[in-house]
Amino acid sequence: MDRPSHLSVVIDLDPSRWDTLNLSLFLSHLLGFFNAHVAAKHENTLAVFGAFPAKSVMLYSSSDPIAEIPPNDANSYPPFKLVDSTVVNRIARELELIADDDLDAPVALVGALTKALCYINRLTVEANAATTSSTDQSLEPVALPDPRILIVSVSPDITSSYIPVMNSIFSAQKLKVTIDACQISGPENVFLQQATHLTGGSFIYAERQDALLQYLIMALLSPPSVRRTIAVPTQDKIDFRATCFCHKNIVDIGFVCSVCLSIFCQPVPVCSTCRTKFPIKTLQKLNSSRPPLPQSNSSRAPTPSSSSARPSTTPRPPATPPTGSDQRHLPRSVVNGHAP
Amino acid sequence: MAPPKHDDFMDMASDSDNSFDEGLQRKGKGKSKSTDKRKKDQNKRKPKDVQAYTWEASYTRSWEAVREDEAGSLQHAVEDYVARGRRKRLQDPSTAIRRTIIRHLVLVLDLSASMLDRDMRPTRFSLTLQYAREFVLEWFDQNPLGQMGVVGMRAGVGERIGSMTGNPQDVLKAISDRHKLEPSGDTSLQNAVEMARNSMNHLPTHSSREIVIIFGSLTTVDPGNIHETLEECIKSKIRISMVALAAEMKICRDLCVKTGGQFGVALNEGHFKDLLFELVPPPAQRSLSRAAGAGATTTSANLMLMGFPTRLPGASPPSLCVCHSDLKSDGFLCPRCLAKVCDVPTDCDICGLMIVSSPHLARSYHHLFPVKPYVAVESLDESSPTCCGCARPFPTVVSQTVTEGVSPIGRYRCPDCRQDFCSDCDVFIHDVLHCCPACGK
Ligand SMILES: [Zn+2]
Ligand SMILES: [Zn+2]
Ligand SMILES: [Zn+2]
Ligand SMILES: [Zn+2]
Ligand SMILES: [Zn+2]
Ligand SMILES: [Zn+2]
Repeated sequence: MDRPSHLSVVIDLDPSRWDTLNLSLFLSHLLGFFNAHVAAKHENTLAVFGAFPAKSVMLYSSSDPIAEIPPNDANSYPPFKLVDSTVVNRIARELELIADDDLDAPVALVGALTKALCYINRLTVEANAATTSSTDQSLEPVALPDPRILIVSVSPDITSSYIPVMNSIFSAQKLKVTIDACQISGPENVFLQQATHLTGGSFIYAERQDALLQYLIMALLSPPSVRRTIAVPTQDKIDFRATCFCHKNIVDIGFVCSVCLSIFCQPVPVCSTCRTKFPIKTLQKLNSSRPPLPQSNSSRAPTPSSSSARPSTTPRPPATPPTGSDQRHLPRSVVNGHAP
Repeated sequence: MAPPKHDDFMDMASDSDNSFDEGLQRKGKGKSKSTDKRKKDQNKRKPKDVQAYTWEASYTRSWEAVREDEAGSLQHAVEDYVARGRRKRLQDPSTAIRRTIIRHLVLVLDLSASMLDRDMRPTRFSLTLQYAREFVLEWFDQNPLGQMGVVGMRAGVGERIGSMTGNPQDVLKAISDRHKLEPSGDTSLQNAVEMARNSMNHLPTHSSREIVIIFGSLTTVDPGNIHETLEECIKSKIRISMVALAAEMKICRDLCVKTGGQFGVALNEGHFKDLLFELVPPPAQRSLSRAAGAGATTTSANLMLMGFPTRLPGASPPSLCVCHSDLKSDGFLCPRCLAKVCDVPTDCDICGLMIVSSPHLARSYHHLFPVKPYVAVESLDESSPTCCGCARPFPTVVSQTVTEGVSPIGRYRCPDCRQDFCSDCDVFIHDVLHCCPACGK
């Protein structure tokens, strides 16, 4: 750990879920983790974001001045005390502020995540301004050393936030941010699994809530540069198959609108999302080439593909070999020797 | 885009006046020196003589290293730049317009002797290669379902450097070896365009066909009538865009304008990059119909068959892939024929099915649902003390300089949720994040 690292933490603070879970126990674990990060290196920076119903708030950041400095306490290290009291006070205040009719609103996890990204972007911009000439409008920001975001979640997926979550993931990739996620209760959050997978972070499901601090310190305290040398849990089972827009079924082979990229499980004459009409010819071709439906996922036999649909549906590169010397495009043997 | 100038190409190619550079206060000095240099360039058109001017290699534009503090003129230049970007965004329609998501592009690189000119640092050739690499990465980042091929113009012929592929690494590999691409001879625009056109002839109608040419030469040596090629391109709805490094040529502008593309002459290195990167986002579909005139329809919408593969975990037993015949454990299974491919998106090598994973589709959604442009806030009333995105404290004093599209108090407001953002966040949200942090739109 020779370089300082930045950590942004997004905490899911949905009061309806924290009814059944112990918030104060959880917070004490989390504060322990914050302190460990702050203590690991003097220059380490920390920002904490809270996701409340229909609202997201920055609870603490080490770069901005704090309004109320806590009174000195002989029994605590001042930087720890500062983080702890600020976070706890802000959470308590925000929870009180929540209006009754907002209680059932979905938690603004995306808002908190995007704010965390904006904050990291700000740090990146500031770091760039300090080191390089600001006239250099290069597209790639000089990356901050090891920025990462930890999402502590207690909620299941919110389907309507799929596109914003994906956009956040791609922005994180651009800023070279690693996203880690720790889920404490509920069904596994597929969006967060995708986020961690696509940014090279790890996803942890904390089965024992009383051991949260241990999960966090063992797996998520080390910055990404160190993780290569230690074994951090990753997940292998993420499935990137898509669901159709019409029935929410998982599809292997889908029909996609070329205008809005909506996915359908069968050929449709009109796109239900953007109202585009598709040519009859394509429909006929697609119908004739369609694999017999319904086909269960477990017994997928290789279907003989009719080649009639190919010219219209799949853009294929020309078969002309390149003039270069690379051998990628040489004819290759058909290899299909693995068990599905 | 900079206004084109027709009178004098020597002036054209010199590094001169766009508004961003004016702040650098290098007008007098810069102009005279570079004009001198151009005169010398006239004498050394033959590539053999290039090495004679080795002093050019160590020659740097000292005025470009000028750096000033916040109060200096540089700050103003940067603000100008930001303001230009904002105004441009405001001009773009904010409603969901139709864009071509499935793109096919042939990148045509000029590899003629004129690329050895040193008017762009270090040479036009090196700079072009460098920008081309960045362009490829950015292009595939924003167009994950697109495919790109590379064609070179060298010694009077078109040369296929990389064939159409959906894998950015393959494209990068094709243009990575600069010794294979060493410039020589003349440029033939017609040969290159014909070659690019032929490689796109078979493509389905719902995908775009585009040619992007980086053109450093002032001549083109063609075997036939290039206007016939132009007609053919219009007929097959190919859109040609061009970044010229030397000066404007009538035929170049015609090629671009008549096919609905963009044409620009690079004034300096930064402008070159700007022009090139303007071609990264997917084109709106309206331009095609305007250019093609009567009888042409807009690019047709279509229903595409796509396969969503099963990802093999890293711990699965190794097997051979169909694309490289490599033995490895991770990969993706084609859902139709169960062949194993290394990477997606791709076309299955066995059955031809287009294989994508759902994040690839998601990566294109932001082109379809853009964030509304934020409005520059003019007065301090009812505004929050910190940026809603990054929590940076806003300035409390009103800036004296008045620039169109720039808020004098550094606040930009989302029209939906009425929250204020700083200018850095404004740029970040619209260019990268594509999602308003406060309202999630
Ligand atoms: Zn369906
Ligand atoms: Zn559609
Ligand atoms: Zn392979
Ligand atoms: Zn296949
Ligand atoms: Zn901001
Ligand atoms: Zn908003």
